[in-house]
Amino acid sequence: MCLHLICPGQAPSTLLSVLGSHFSDSQTLIGSAFTQSPDLPSSGGNAGLLIKATTFEGKPVFIRKKVQTDRGKKVITRSSLHRMGTAGKVTGLLDVPLHRLMDELAVSASDPTKSAQCSSESLSASSSKAHGELWVDRYRPQQYTDLVGDDRVHREVMAWVKEWDHCVFGKSKGRRKTTEDGQYLDEYRRPQEKLLLISGPPGLGKTTLAHIVAKQAGYKVFEINASDARSGSVVDERIRPSLESGAAIGSSKPVLVIVDEIDGATGAGDSSTGFIQKLIALTQDSSHKRQKNDKKERRPLLRPIICICNDLYASSLTKLRTYARIIRLTRTADIHIVKRLRDICERERLKADSRALTALVGIAQGDLRGCLNTLQFLKRREAEVTEDVVRKATHGMKEADASQISVLNDLFCPMQRKRARDLGMTGEEESRYVGRLARSIESTGAPDKVALGCFEHYPNLSKHDSTFSKYSKAVEWLGSYDLLSNGMRSEREYGLMNYLPYMIVPFYPLFQERGAQKVERPKMDWENYTKTKAHEEIYKSLSKCLRSACAREVGCFRHLLNEQILQLELSPYINRILSPPLRPINSQIIKPEERAVLNRLVDLMVALDLRFVQDKAEDGSLIYRLDPPVDVFVTYDGKRSSDIAISRYAVRQLVANEIDARASRRQADGALAGKPERKGLLGKRWAYFNLDMSDTLKNERIASRDQCLTLTAFQPPTDFFNRPIVVKSKPVSRTSLEKATSPILVVSYKFNEGNSSAVRKPVKVSSFF
Amino acid sequence: MSLWVDKYRPKTLDELSYHEGLTTRMRALANSGDFPHLLVYGPSGAGKKTRISCILRELFGKGVERLKIDQRVFLTPSKRKLDVNIVQSNYHIELTPSDVGNYDRVVIQDLLKEIAQTQQVDLNAKQRFKVVVINEADLLSRDAQAALRRTMEKFMSNMRIILCANSTSRLIAPIKSRCLLMRVAAPSPEEIKTVLQQVAKNVGFDLPPEASEKIAEDSNGNLRKATLVLEALKMQSKDLNSPSLTIPKPDWESYCHKVADLIMSEQTPAKVMEVRGKFYELLSHCIPPTVILKTVAERLVDQMDESLKADVMYWAAFYERRMRMGNKKIFHLEAWVIKVMCLYKHYFFDVDMEDLNAFD
Repeated sequence: MCLHLICPGQAPSTLLSVLGSHFSDSQTLIGSAFTQSPDLPSSGGNAGLLIKATTFEGKPVFIRKKVQTDRGKKVITRSSLHRMGTAGKVTGLLDVPLHRLMDELAVSASDPTKSAQCSSESLSASSSKAHGELWVDRYRPQQYTDLVGDDRVHREVMAWVKEWDHCVFGKSKGRRKTTEDGQYLDEYRRPQEKLLLISGPPGLGKTTLAHIVAKQAGYKVFEINASDARSGSVVDERIRPSLESGAAIGSSKPVLVIVDEIDGATGAGDSSTGFIQKLIALTQDSSHKRQKNDKKERRPLLRPIICICNDLYASSLTKLRTYARIIRLTRTADIHIVKRLRDICERERLKADSRALTALVGIAQGDLRGCLNTLQFLKRREAEVTEDVVRKATHGMKEADASQISVLNDLFCPMQRKRARDLGMTGEEESRYVGRLARSIESTGAPDKVALGCFEHYPNLSKHDSTFSKYSKAVEWLGSYDLLSNGMRSEREYGLMNYLPYMIVPFYPLFQERGAQKVERPKMDWENYTKTKAHEEIYKSLSKCLRSACAREVGCFRHLLNEQILQLELSPYINRILSPPLRPINSQIIKPEERAVLNRLVDLMVALDLRFVQDKAEDGSLIYRLDPPVDVFVTYDGKRSSDIAISRYAVRQLVANEIDARASRRQADGALAGKPERKGLLGKRWAYFNLDMSDTLKNERIASRDQCLTLTAFQPPTDFFNRPIVVKSKPVSRTSLEKATSPILVVSYKFNEGNSSAVRKPVKVSSFF
Repeated sequence: MSLWVDKYRPKTLDELSYHEGLTTRMRALANSGDFPHLLVYGPSGAGKKTRISCILRELFGKGVERLKIDQRVFLTPSKRKLDVNIVQSNYHIELTPSDVGNYDRVVIQDLLKEIAQTQQVDLNAKQRFKVVVINEADLLSRDAQAALRRTMEKFMSNMRIILCANSTSRLIAPIKSRCLLMRVAAPSPEEIKTVLQQVAKNVGFDLPPEASEKIAEDSNGNLRKATLVLEALKMQSKDLNSPSLTIPKPDWESYCHKVADLIMSEQTPAKVMEVRGKFYELLSHCIPPTVILKTVAERLVDQMDESLKADVMYWAAFYERRMRMGNKKIFHLEAWVIKVMCLYKHYFFDVDMEDLNAFD
């Protein structure tokens, strides 16, 4: 029998419940746990202390401690020394080197004084202390070696944390160096991904794993979980300071941040203030440091961050996934969990047969936490755990948390035999599928998505159905589902929600097939949705163009603005109107009729605010892209209709140049009109005439723009009603003064875009001089 | 620069070329000094809006063509901001309240009251009232229509309303009874031809009669479409005389026809999947699902056997109704396709489906 002694002077909570230390050696299992019972009546100093131990066979043994021998003390001091010295030297994966541990065990095993002290009279002592404590907490692994599950995954996590060693502890590790040099070298010698993302279903021990690895590697854990606020500001206010300070408060250990339940954090959107975005920014700061060095110097991330989530594909994590090393925790093999459960049951003196425990694990689908809680609960009620008892107690657990995909698979595949056996269902129960499936559909919380999944999947099945009998039934059910759900939403009769799942259940008798292909995540509808949104945006920008054209051209395009006309009539034909067959010739030597076509095209494009924008195609060649890209509306299945000539690069360039020329001419007009006014030579507002901008006058725009009268020398200007404009004497005199002093003649005129009902009269510029 | 549709749009009642009787009645109304509320309805592209602007011109003179376009912001009771585009002159105002969906009531209430409560400012105006033109009146929600009712009576002295709609069926009876109903029928192919010739003459080129005939036939009584087609043709090919002139169809329409051909070609689950992909493509191009259904059904009916036509149309109507009531349009489109495939197969192999099902 091996025993391990624990110093009575240490806090009991840290030493309690060390269980099932697994060593690589398969045959040695040192099941030893020690419970100190300080609340026993202590009759005379140390003599009253009891130590609980468990033998190999699972018998609890209680040891009364009398006098400590020198030898025992030595062991104690040594082990406690090791524990305290952890922070300083972290070289291996283990807190204490393995050979030391073995030594320790050997020493304690060879100590005859301890094993002799078995006391059977204090049986009830063990449970008295931890009545209020959950078994989950009591038997939480305390060391790396206590962990149950896939060792490879644990090692991966540990290895990642260890990659930080050089950065955090400033030591180089000879073993990894060679490989690191090959792939990636950071200036701080950090791993490539600065985040670790552990994902997996609940109850597998993700949080425990993270904590233990951190502890074992010599870090102090700083945890943020769902109970904390997790807005973007938390990153700045809490995480960053703790990371930058390097070490945790009140301890010399470096800090390691664990962000638990990160899938519930904010940041699904694109806003830069979300938690996830901030977190990513935190890790990426350093890589862009060089560029923005001058702006704000942020200290690089020098401490590891571990994130934990249930659903790796939660929408909020999409961004994070690319920056993090991802580790998936999967269900541990049942046999290990059962073994661990049996150990615990023994320790708690709860009679449980293997079959019952296996059934329990099967129902809980590997959720160790759920199993432990169920067992603890059973302990209070029953003396013995049998399969029957387990089945009764776990009624609620069966349908817990079904994902969309698993529900879809359930719908299209009959239940696996093994799972049915796990749940203890008879054949008859299994064949009664309606209630079972309806409940699982309901539990997903999104029957709409399940219906969509069914819609996307069913044509893959029963392809031989030549009469469409199943198909027509299926679409009939989908149609009814849609009607019901839409009716429910529009009438706000959410009581009908209960009936929605039953509209999907009929897919089971119609299409279920053993061994059918797995259902894929429905994506067609989503793709369609995003595409529709993009096209709607283009329509919106087109109608905006039309609207501004309408404002410029005085109500010209307004009748085309109706959504349906825009979609069905204008968009196909405008594309044809805008793509005449032009030859790429220099615009100077173009034939007159072609010139006319070109002019008309340019006029239209300018009027509609359509442009050719130079862009790079995927293969790197230069192209001219239409902006807004209204040509998508004549592109179906990636092909343009055959009757629309594909305009070549040179043609588009020609058109684009013409448009630019037109635009710059317009701008020049605008600038000419604007400048003198801004100068405001006299600082006075001028009376001006607003000239009619009819088509005939367009060409002489510059010449006969709306003007301001500034001069006094000639006949008094009159307005539309032939009343003379009264120009105040003061500006007049100053104008003449200016004229006398400076040789530069300044003409100021102003043009208002559009038109108004103001007074208009054509006036020649020359008349002002 | 504007499209021919706008450039050669008649501006006065005298320029209107077809529906002479309607034009005379309109002129009489405008000059009677007792102008009623109007409800102008008819198919798309028949010239409703053109006629409305002609009436306005007749009522108020040239001043009505001085348009101002601006955007007004309305506040819903839930403090959401709505932008509504408004076209107005001194004498009238044009708006499309259905742009803002369910909030159209707010726009109607606020704007109409505001206009109704102020009198005509221009003392030289020909009429004492202002005119409000409401486009797409058939898409007005019930609330908005109800809001319109009382306003129409109460402020009759200051304001007249001209409603423009595709059909009167969605308007509530009280509105209809307060208006003078005026139907603008689609022009006949002959009438379209003359209009096209007129446009060609104005532009200054020679339109061969065969070409105009083809365009007119293809336009389905939609003059706007016909004019757009003419401009597209002119822009694309100089030569309108060639006998092999093809009238460009809108792309979505030819795509719908492809879908119909696909349905006809083979009736298998694989084709169902293919058709679904095509439907998604159409829907993603923002083609309204009801239009898709109708176009495909019409094409199918063209090609199918006489005995099936009624059935295909019946089911198209049936599923269109369900589509309007439901939310996921694609479910109902596919349901219809499967139904049609079923029918066609049934007819083609002359087997009784019920019998086959029994053996299933």
